[in-house]
Amino acid sequence: MPLAVRYVLLIAVVVAAALWSLTLGQRGDIHLSNILSLLWVDDGSLARSAVIDLRLPRTLVALFVGVNLALAGLALQAVTRNPLASESILGINQGASLGVALAVVLPFLAGVPLDLMAILGAALAGLVTFAIAGGLGGRLDSIRLILAGVAVGAFSYACVRFTYTLDDDLSRLVINWVSADISSVSVQQVLPLIAWSFAGVLGSLLLAHGFNVLALGDGASQGLGIDPRRVRFLGAALAAVLTGASVAVAGPVMFVGLVVPHLCRFWFGQNHRALVPAVALGGGALLVLADAVSKLVRFPYETPLGVVCALIGAPYFLYATLTARRLA
Amino acid sequence: MRNVIARLGMTASLLAMVTSAHAVEIDHELGTTDVPENPERIVVLEYSFVDSLAAVGVAPVGIADDNSRDRIVQAYTDIIGDDWVSVGTRKSPSLEIIASLQPDLIIADKNRHSAIYSSLSDIAPTLVFDSLTGTYDVALESAATIAHAVGRDAQMSERLAEHRALMSDYKAQLGDVSGLSIQFFIDNGRGIYLHSPTSYNGSLLSWFGFETEMTATDGDTYSDAIVQTSLEQLSVLNPDILVRGKYADPGLTDEWVGQPLFDNLKAIQSGWLFDIEAHNWSRLRGVIASEASAASLVDIMAQIER
Repeated sequence: MPLAVRYVLLIAVVVAAALWSLTLGQRGDIHLSNILSLLWVDDGSLARSAVIDLRLPRTLVALFVGVNLALAGLALQAVTRNPLASESILGINQGASLGVALAVVLPFLAGVPLDLMAILGAALAGLVTFAIAGGLGGRLDSIRLILAGVAVGAFSYACVRFTYTLDDDLSRLVINWVSADISSVSVQQVLPLIAWSFAGVLGSLLLAHGFNVLALGDGASQGLGIDPRRVRFLGAALAAVLTGASVAVAGPVMFVGLVVPHLCRFWFGQNHRALVPAVALGGGALLVLADAVSKLVRFPYETPLGVVCALIGAPYFLYATLTARRLA
Repeated sequence: MRNVIARLGMTASLLAMVTSAHAVEIDHELGTTDVPENPERIVVLEYSFVDSLAAVGVAPVGIADDNSRDRIVQAYTDIIGDDWVSVGTRKSPSLEIIASLQPDLIIADKNRHSAIYSSLSDIAPTLVFDSLTGTYDVALESAATIAHAVGRDAQMSERLAEHRALMSDYKAQLGDVSGLSIQFFIDNGRGIYLHSPTSYNGSLLSWFGFETEMTATDGDTYSDAIVQTSLEQLSVLNPDILVRGKYADPGLTDEWVGQPLFDNLKAIQSGWLFDIEAHNWSRLRGVIASEASAASLVDIMAQIER
């Protein structure tokens, strides 16, 4: 199947999933038959308002968080040369959660925006993980990287869990955020996310050649005139920013960065130039579908997106671990 | 640490046995417990138990006041004073502090404290009631049982008679409210939480005769009583009257102003969105608390022209 046809198929999946998700909700007057007209024609009805003001921002958030996290996962797997690397395995997601938990709990951080705290937490956790694994010194040890990620993630989550024991309203706020509940996102949160996604796609495309060469090993990269440390640093920075920006809006959605690049490699091969658009589309499709499922699990009440993603992702992680020929 | 607590606990219970010849057998959510006659050192782990003790003029020695003493409102401190020791949060009270108070009775909540029931029982006889997810009726029944446990049956039946008269009076002031649907909810800035018909506030509102647009679920878990809800879901329920308790300012609902789905809610259109004291409504339950809620309800209905 030609590459273009495969992309078109993926786009079709994204659009179909988004339209289906837009019809799901508590109101009974929005169906597949009228969703397109509600999207395009402003008839002043409440159904139109529900679609445009509530459901569309949410679906867009799911879409672009999926794009960002999948691209972050792709970059992390490339720079670590480890197919199991992803934001949640490397502790970056959990670090972002800790940032938010601290902002909620510590009074002197009250003025700092949650988004900033999430990005700081993500960057710091990533930095610590990479430092433990020797990434800052030049040679990255894959096994140490995963173990360091587990340690950083466990430490961060232990601190987050401590906040559950605090006052009901504080803990409810943290839980709401940590379980990646996107049911009340607003339009204002969507636009920056879209900007980040475009930057992410562009950055990943620019780095794609570097990722390809990196896969050949450090010696080969240097022989081909590419500084592996530079590619690694840029790739990790890209992943941290994309993760932070997404986590700031939606909370720590787990496993997307692991599952999507993995699946895409089956279908699109190892070439990162072909993989970047595929992973972006695949990530978007997966999260839009997961969001649709999150509306249905306990209808008419919501199940947080993070819970649904973990239910999909954890078994896949197990499968990937058991079938991986080479972990390090 | 466990040993110390256990030993302290054993000393406390031994003391309790020595000092009281008789014990009162009390049935509660987790079984039957012998409570020494007329316990004097009582530790309570939910605000509604403060309410029950205050209703019969008994002051607890320890309260899980979430480490903030002003959570115990004046209606209670007027009766129980302010000599209690804080034993930490309701969610995870400090066993060490509880044991150090050498209580002869602990009163705990089914949802929050079942997991630490045996540790609490090692310290002192522990009674467990359904405060967090219980209804108004359950709150009154628990109050009566607590009064029995502390040997104040007579005072409580007198207080309950007074309570019923007062509530009937409030009910009369409200008039016939059948046909009017009402919904109480909490806005914490990131989400809104509806108190369902099976919750304390929901059952209190239906006691007054209000209708509800929510369908009651069978369960008695926290998420059945307190239901997180989106604007879309709220617009489908669309009750006549909205009673809002805000823990954050501005709240999430303030951000919704201007959105057609919010502006077209019946309660918004008719100006029947009312703010009440969130703490009093959502955290306090019981004889005294329900009278205060009823009074604010009368205030609300006075603003509604029918």
